[in-house]
Amino acid sequence: MSSSLGRVINFPARRGTELATDAMSRATSGINATATRLTAEHMGTVDDWGRDPRLVQVITTLSHFRWSVAVGGEEHLKRRKGALIVVNARRFALAPIFSALAISEAVDRPVRFVGRPDTAPIGSLSRRIGGLLDHPDEVAGALSAGELVVMGAEHDPRLREAGIVDHAHVGAAMLASVPVFPAATSSNPMGRDARVEIGPATRPGRKRRGPLAELELADRVRADIQLLLDEMGELRTGTPLDWLPITAIGGS
Amino acid sequence: MSMGGRRVFVSGVGGELGTLIASLLEDEPWVGELSGIDADPPRRRLHRTAFHRLHPDEHDQIVETITKFNPHVLVHVGVWEPDARAAPHAAALLTDQAATSIIGAAAECPALENVIVRSGIEIYGRARGSLTRPSESAPIRPTSEWGHTVAGIEHTAARVGERVGVSVGAVRLAPVLGPHVPSPLGRLLRMPAVPFSVLADPPFAVIEDRDAARAIVAAARERLSEPVNVVASGAITALQAARRGRRVPIPLVGPEWRVARTISHLFGAPIPDHVSEVFHRGRLADNSRMQELLGIIPETTTTDVVDRLYDWPTVIRQPARIQVA
Repeated sequence: MSSSLGRVINFPARRGTELATDAMSRATSGINATATRLTAEHMGTVDDWGRDPRLVQVITTLSHFRWSVAVGGEEHLKRRKGALIVVNARRFALAPIFSALAISEAVDRPVRFVGRPDTAPIGSLSRRIGGLLDHPDEVAGALSAGELVVMGAEHDPRLREAGIVDHAHVGAAMLASVPVFPAATSSNPMGRDARVEIGPATRPGRKRRGPLAELELADRVRADIQLLLDEMGELRTGTPLDWLPITAIGGS
Repeated sequence: MSMGGRRVFVSGVGGELGTLIASLLEDEPWVGELSGIDADPPRRRLHRTAFHRLHPDEHDQIVETITKFNPHVLVHVGVWEPDARAAPHAAALLTDQAATSIIGAAAECPALENVIVRSGIEIYGRARGSLTRPSESAPIRPTSEWGHTVAGIEHTAARVGERVGVSVGAVRLAPVLGPHVPSPLGRLLRMPAVPFSVLADPPFAVIEDRDAARAIVAAARERLSEPVNVVASGAITALQAARRGRRVPIPLVGPEWRVARTISHLFGAPIPDHVSEVFHRGRLADNSRMQELLGIIPETTTTDVVDRLYDWPTVIRQPARIQVA
């Protein structure tokens, strides 16, 4: 009995050690994966859109100290074709950025995100890590060139609710004849764990001849993101904060 | 319709790009007679091209020469980039004179079918919020003197084309670099110390002179009737270029640029506003329609063009063995 009690008492300490070891190994494996993958890209230059692989490598490595992102559903994305991935975004959560970095690691190709400012130095830094201007023509150009682009839906003040999806960007994807994928993101302002779950491509409903098609597709993408968010379930921090009567702290 | 035996007239044939275009056109099977004018003689020997040395302000002679030749295709590359071979004001004046008299004269030719003009991606401008890689359908909002100049050429050509019913194609070139091409950007990058904007250091793309010439020849062959961006793939920043060329990068923030411009000018590499814009706002363009419209893609990437820029030997001045003056 005493021995079992001892095990119970010792468990949190062992658990803590395991967690620390696990977190370290996950962070290290992420860093190793980044270092291995990006050596194939040209260093010392930028690509056609101004993305700097060396800087992306550094930022991705540093991002592992902030986020440990689990990516799911990346098998939906084609290896070489362009696609627009729409994620739910919370204010200040940088969801499009961490999603782009994480998906880039998962699919082993550059992923860009929409929403860089056009003012130095933030705009310049964002461009170096794959940022695009929040302009439908800019998005259409990247998608036509076969790039993977992540954009955020509008912020919804309600937790775990997908905001409005900009139909102009969805229209850009339709113009470029690339699929639009919904993706649910979840992150924690106090922890490293984050998740990006990419769903299957959203199919347009009725065949429309006019701009109604992009409006309807944008609505469907929003509904699909909401579905993915609901499937994700409640987020648990593993701390007493979970006991508080607020749902999904930091989620969505 | 048979393309054989077409008469092609090249304006600006004396420049490096014009000479290169003429030499490539000489090898084209569809080209019959070939003629060209410029204020300076061609930079290399041309076998089939009849050269006329005329200054852009000699309107009567230009009109007479062109109408007598009665070309099917006019290739207008007689443009002066600011601080390349002429000071900005003179360059704008010469370019305007040449565009008006040459394109105007070509409009009087009954055989004229197609006009190809040399333009530049500076035409899109780099105002705040402008697209990173504008395609040909992006709005024309030039923000530099050179951008306004090429917009003016396109406008003149389009107006003339509309009036006389001929197709007009515009080849929008990225900054052209080559071993003998007078380029303010190339000169600046080859300086022992290269300034760069430490806050922005934006990417830019260039095109090698040979690829630019191939594109213009292809535009004439394909009878291009719309604008096309001609840009080498890839991009580079000023800092990266300086590092590749083992130059000393000078980080600048803002007010020092004025001093840097003056010093650079004194050392023989003036920085006109469109080059300054490259260093502050970058210069990229979407070249995805090149293959579709011209049937070619650039052979040299931006990085390779910049590497070659640093490999090209400098001018070695050898004094005359016998001083006669």
